Amino acid sequence: MPPALLRCLPLALLAAAALWLRTHDLALRPMHADEANQGVKTGELVEAGRYAFDPRDHHGPTLYYLGAAVAGIRGQTSLAALDETTLRLVPALAGALAVPLLVILARRRTPGGPGLSEPAALAAGAFLALAPPAVYYSRYYIQETLLATGTLAVAVALRRWGHTGRARWAIAAGAGLGLMQATKASTPLFVAAAGIAWVLSRGAARAASARPGRDLLAGLGAALATAALLYSSFGSHWAGLRDALSVYLHALLRFGAEAPPTGHEKPWPYYLQLLGWSRAGGLLWHQLALSALALAGLAIAARRRDPLLRSVAVYGVLILAAFSAFPYKTPWHAIHFTAPAALLAGLALDALGRRRAGPVLAAAVALLVAFSLGQQTRLTSFLRPADGRNPWAYVHSSRDVLKFRPLAEAARAARPGAPIRVISEEYWPLPWYLRGLPDVGYWSEAPADCSGALVIASVAHAETVRARLGGPARESFVGLRPGFLCVVFQPEP
Amino acid sequence: MHSRQLPLLLSPLLGATAFAGAPGKVPLAVEYPKPLFAGTPRPISLSNLEPAGAKRPDILVSADSKLLSRGKKVTSSDSLPVIGELSFITDGDKTGIDGAYVELGPNTQWVQVDLGASAKIDAVAVWHFHSQARVYHDVVVQISDDPEFKKGVKTIFNNDDDNSSKLGKGGDKSYVETNHGRVLPADGASGRYVRLYSNGNTSDELNHYCEIEVFGVAK
Repeated sequence: MPPALLRCLPLALLAAAALWLRTHDLALRPMHADEANQGVKTGELVEAGRYAFDPRDHHGPTLYYLGAAVAGIRGQTSLAALDETTLRLVPALAGALAVPLLVILARRRTPGGPGLSEPAALAAGAFLALAPPAVYYSRYYIQETLLATGTLAVAVALRRWGHTGRARWAIAAGAGLGLMQATKASTPLFVAAAGIAWVLSRGAARAASARPGRDLLAGLGAALATAALLYSSFGSHWAGLRDALSVYLHALLRFGAEAPPTGHEKPWPYYLQLLGWSRAGGLLWHQLALSALALAGLAIAARRRDPLLRSVAVYGVLILAAFSAFPYKTPWHAIHFTAPAALLAGLALDALGRRRAGPVLAAAVALLVAFSLGQQTRLTSFLRPADGRNPWAYVHSSRDVLKFRPLAEAARAARPGAPIRVISEEYWPLPWYLRGLPDVGYWSEAPADCSGALVIASVAHAETVRARLGGPARESFVGLRPGFLCVVFQPEP
Repeated sequence: MHSRQLPLLLSPLLGATAFAGAPGKVPLAVEYPKPLFAGTPRPISLSNLEPAGAKRPDILVSADSKLLSRGKKVTSSDSLPVIGELSFITDGDKTGIDGAYVELGPNTQWVQVDLGASAKIDAVAVWHFHSQARVYHDVVVQISDDPEFKKGVKTIFNNDDDNSSKLGKGGDKSYVETNHGRVLPADGASGRYVRLYSNGNTSDELNHYCEIEVFGVAK
């Protein structure tokens, strides 16, 4: 094998393992309400070929366009034809790409230069490949993994620009930034954290570019053009540009000091607990090994005069502090700390490897951490992916939701033409599971006539619905998610 | 309401006198754990359900009826539960807190209490899991003298309305788990073994038991 290929082999194997973990059995977990919602939106794009950015209730366009692209590749041309695998391939591929990006970002490019040794950089990549939140949310059709991978891509491009001085890397970084902004409007938070981290950590480093101002302007232009292209739905919906700005006003109304509670408020140590451990229902969930090693790496980064590693350390701490400071917290934000934690853990191994007998010890520690992460990922992503005790399965649909579709199909076959009614204050992910079926309606309050081929009601509405069915019905319970039950009425012949 | 539910009577275990309306019969006394609904449960007001915490009508039992199952051996289709131990099912702890219930694997699973000798069984009480509003699917309760449940099987409860667990179609109604569990009349069925099936629940595909109590008269 040529030496160049041999050098690439460990990274290629690592990327392949990350890809397998992220793409294996993607339909295993039932759809979360947020995934279902975005899946239906993607289906509308696939069917109609049109998309309009909604600044009130949805994030940016990137996820939907990428979902539609994968659907096209897989030959799925309607919402009904879409499946879980198609949608989840988008974050899965992005999540797998994050692993080689982290290794490329972390590795030392010149002897004595900034970064990690090759084994330590590969270990950092392995930690990211195996980390429970990174795997879990790479198999989850939401924006977060795209955003985290975009951050890494921009960092890699900026590092290359700083190293080579070539304008094309600044433009690549700008395009990546534009994609991030078009993925989620929280991008400025990451930019601000990265900017502060760079200012605090750069030391005497100078850009290699002869004309850094021109390069940065070109990068900014690329960012604006990319974001504008997507927010305007490729020039077919120019109001999307205005909405891309008004999204911050909506965010202020929703999350500002005067805004009513969203129901997702949590105490500040929430993310620290996710990075540490929790015990629920007899099961232990943790990331202790990675977090402990990352903490050691943080201490080393503070002492080592390495602008790259210091930047990563400061960035990680700032992002963690910022997300902890916001009362609104959801577990998928934890993936933004995972790549910095993996890199800092790699730094701890790098430092350990420099000591006498260090390489052996570092290898042993790396294996131990990888084993611990792998065990937790097996538990969280494959054995209990929708378990209410799983800290990453946040307000997750229960496996019972898979019963709705067969019930609806049987009801349609028994009573063709009669409607299927969903009467509930909350009903996602049902529109996903009932996609493609005709005459399906959704009510938040019971209508005067509740008759139909199948009536699905929340327990809060069940009594009213029963009185308005217009005849006897067989009743059964089906869960929407833990603690939220639906009563399914099947009219008797 | 369950069709076999019987009128309110007094407790035999508290030494109460026989109920005037049914000579020789007294109400079964069951000790209930405290409610464990974490957070605010959604209001449940269905005609086939009693509200959480509401008292169900008592069950008539013989005056000399006793708790027969405490500390008795339990076997299961899932012999190595990931969480908890089968012995939890008859240890008297029905609090439902972590460490007080056993979790069996997915799909249809059963647990079986061996009373040690054949008995005339008046009632079977079961608490699956009561820290969250959930309904267990395909709950089937059977009594037999055959440990394999191949002959002489009496089914005292079956809410598998589509026969998905392949034990026969049942007409009993499903119910939301509460701290009151479910007390099922057995009408003096004779048997040494009590077997309870379930097929996951509305929250997950797993099967849980905090406690099972079997009341009756040893032969």
